[in-house]
Amino acid sequence: MLEIKPIFNSLRRSKAGALMLLIQIAITTAIVSNAAFIIKDKVEYLQQETGYPEDEIFSFSVLTYGKDRDLNQMFEEDETMLRNIPGVIDASLFSTVPVSGSGSASSFQLDADPTDSKSTRAAYTMTDEHGLNALGVKVGEGRAFTAQDVVVTQESSELPTVVLATRSFITEMFPEGDGLGNIIYFGINPIKIVGVIEKMKGPWLKDSAVENLIIFPKMMANTYQRIVVRTRAQDRASVLGQIEDLMLAKYDKRVVVGLQGMDDAKDEQNAGDILMMRMLIVLIVVLVLVTALGIFGLTVFNINKRTKQIGTRRALGARKSAIVSYFLVENSLICVAGLVIGAAGAVALGQGLFEYYSLPALDYMYIVMTAVFVLFFSLLSVLMPANKAANISPSVATRSI
Amino acid sequence: MFTHYIDLAWRSFKRTPLVSILMVLAIAVGIGITMTSLSVYHMMSMDPIPSKSSKLFHVQLGTMDDGEEWWTEDSLPQQITYKDAMALYHANTPARKVASMRSGFTVHMNNDQIKPFLESTRVTGRDFFAMFELDFLYGATWTTQQEQSAAPVIVISEQLNDKLFGGENSIGKEIYLDDSSFQIVGVTKKWNIHTKYYDVTNGAFNDPENVFMPITQIAAMELPSWGNTNGWKFEEVNTYQQRLTSEVFWLQFWVELDSPQQETQYRDYLTNYLTEQGKLGRYTREEAFFGLRNVNEWLTYNKVVSEENKILVGLSFMFLIVCLANILGLLLGKFLRRAPEVGVRRALGASKGDIFKQHLVEVSMLGLMGGLLGIGIAQLGLWGVRQTHDYYSALATMDISMLFIAPFIAISACVLAGLYPAWLVCRTTPALYLKTQ
Repeated sequence: MLEIKPIFNSLRRSKAGALMLLIQIAITTAIVSNAAFIIKDKVEYLQQETGYPEDEIFSFSVLTYGKDRDLNQMFEEDETMLRNIPGVIDASLFSTVPVSGSGSASSFQLDADPTDSKSTRAAYTMTDEHGLNALGVKVGEGRAFTAQDVVVTQESSELPTVVLATRSFITEMFPEGDGLGNIIYFGINPIKIVGVIEKMKGPWLKDSAVENLIIFPKMMANTYQRIVVRTRAQDRASVLGQIEDLMLAKYDKRVVVGLQGMDDAKDEQNAGDILMMRMLIVLIVVLVLVTALGIFGLTVFNINKRTKQIGTRRALGARKSAIVSYFLVENSLICVAGLVIGAAGAVALGQGLFEYYSLPALDYMYIVMTAVFVLFFSLLSVLMPANKAANISPSVATRSI
Repeated sequence: MFTHYIDLAWRSFKRTPLVSILMVLAIAVGIGITMTSLSVYHMMSMDPIPSKSSKLFHVQLGTMDDGEEWWTEDSLPQQITYKDAMALYHANTPARKVASMRSGFTVHMNNDQIKPFLESTRVTGRDFFAMFELDFLYGATWTTQQEQSAAPVIVISEQLNDKLFGGENSIGKEIYLDDSSFQIVGVTKKWNIHTKYYDVTNGAFNDPENVFMPITQIAAMELPSWGNTNGWKFEEVNTYQQRLTSEVFWLQFWVELDSPQQETQYRDYLTNYLTEQGKLGRYTREEAFFGLRNVNEWLTYNKVVSEENKILVGLSFMFLIVCLANILGLLLGKFLRRAPEVGVRRALGASKGDIFKQHLVEVSMLGLMGGLLGIGIAQLGLWGVRQTHDYYSALATMDISMLFIAPFIAISACVLAGLYPAWLVCRTTPALYLKTQ
């Protein structure tokens, strides 16, 4: 019924064209399945929840070069001023800002003696009792900071005795689940964990322990000071625009820099990933188009070459559907062979990427999905010329002999 | 004959416009995608200082205890401590050398005309400019004597000079950095480096600094580091003096070694230095361990070209192969259909070689058209890359070499694809086709 044998025989007589099609389909399958997998991986990474309402938050830095002010007092007044801007929900000083790409990390120990104590690495930041609200996160267990917890000082060695920690840190440090209320050591300084935050990310999104974060209730205004402000989402742009003038109007021997929304900061850290994702999407789309056009072109050419044969077959009683199915079967034969080789190529390429680059191992479902997709597109691009061929009139064959 | 072939090629192009345009488009898209990723790769991996890249060496010192891990491939920290930097800098070795680090200030003129702004500052030795081939527009680097006495002198870039002084010679003028005034002793010419290879720890493709000042200011002014500071053991570091004598890493160190002998001598010197330090009990490590890498080795070691980019280049070349297979298939059809015509030409006396050449000229023409169109597509692609982030603005461009290489790749790819069809068609036996007509 499906005339596979004659089709196969005729293919053997025009090997080169069929071979080119096969190569195209094979490489397309190998590339598209791997590229689609990388895109999925990037999309998952880019869509990860940071734990913050990113579109409500922005941060900036103030570099104070004037020496005639008490920094703690000046920034205390700045904070009050910022919190009173219409649209602002809260504002607070931070030693380092989450998701900003720059921060501090240290190891925290279970015992004062660092030599043989269990230790866990975590990023840390220092802020006051408004800090959590400014970041839009809540304490899940235990309590938040009160104004009494906050150590206001200009001495870097003076540390608070309580901290907040993320769930990720607590689970790693205290696998038994008794983290809340326990003591950890920062250097030789004992500090008590009074509250747990379920989810918030640290400064570096590519960190292996991105959610390990410790928050100290400490206010030590610096000559280079970072400030985080949270507004209603719709007011963020207008508040952000006023900041520099408002800050300089209060005191002008300083510079305001780095005004940036948290979502923009995230995009900046991920610029490489976003770029790669976009380029791969373009690559896949164009690749499929080129392959489809190639199949289309080759089928048109084959039909032109065989006009007389088709006419003869029609004259001998072949139905239109037989002509269409001939080309569909012919194409499917090539396509399936190409897909088999392409699947092997995709596995090999995936292996290579997995071994030499830091990419996860290719999920074979992607090869199957790509194969179905490529087969569909190749049949689609045959269908139109094949239908045209079916309309060749039998008289064409007889006329020119 | 060549022009005749071109004429024939053009006629053939017009005879089957759809297939011809398809082929040109296929090659153009292939070249466009490949050149986009290749251009970014080329800018990232280009030797930043070809005349000296094998003479400039970055120094890494293994001053951690034996068994301490670092995230580099050989567990050597990328930067060195202040005390080591000073010891190496003042050592009596013949080579030119500089320690450096990134700091920054508020720049202002102590008046209302210019709004204060931040500038990052390179704090370094006076040989920095000569070593890294940064030329002067006005003035010169600070003197040895000025460096020793930590005199308040600076060198600024042409860009900053334009901003503050409208581009005029500003030697001897004063500007304010934070609350102290500094005298300008030199203005450097615009520095076209796409890779900030002398300090990759702060983003290898960021812009170079606009202010330069003597390294001795670190201790004199207690300058904060605007780069990375990394420690590996617990130390009390509460005062700046403690930081200067601590084991934390925050400076980069470069030497210029002109000959292999100098390199050997310097390696011996580093071995001796580290053995001596080990004997003083600074760290538990039996053997001296250090890294001395030239510019290109240093960039590779720091994986300056992102692996994403390498994957993209690889994938786009595979894409180009798909386009070629595509063209090969179409050419096969196009050329073979022309067999009767070729039969007539052969019968009229054209040799096989003539037919072969004629068809190669035709595919070269397709290649050239595809290549030119491909450059356009690549420009569009690079524009898209630049839109993604400012970071890529200097990287996502095509330099002259890439512009020339694009049609070259396109033509050779097309010729490669055209070889088999051309060979097939030139074997046409004239008799067969003459008979059927």
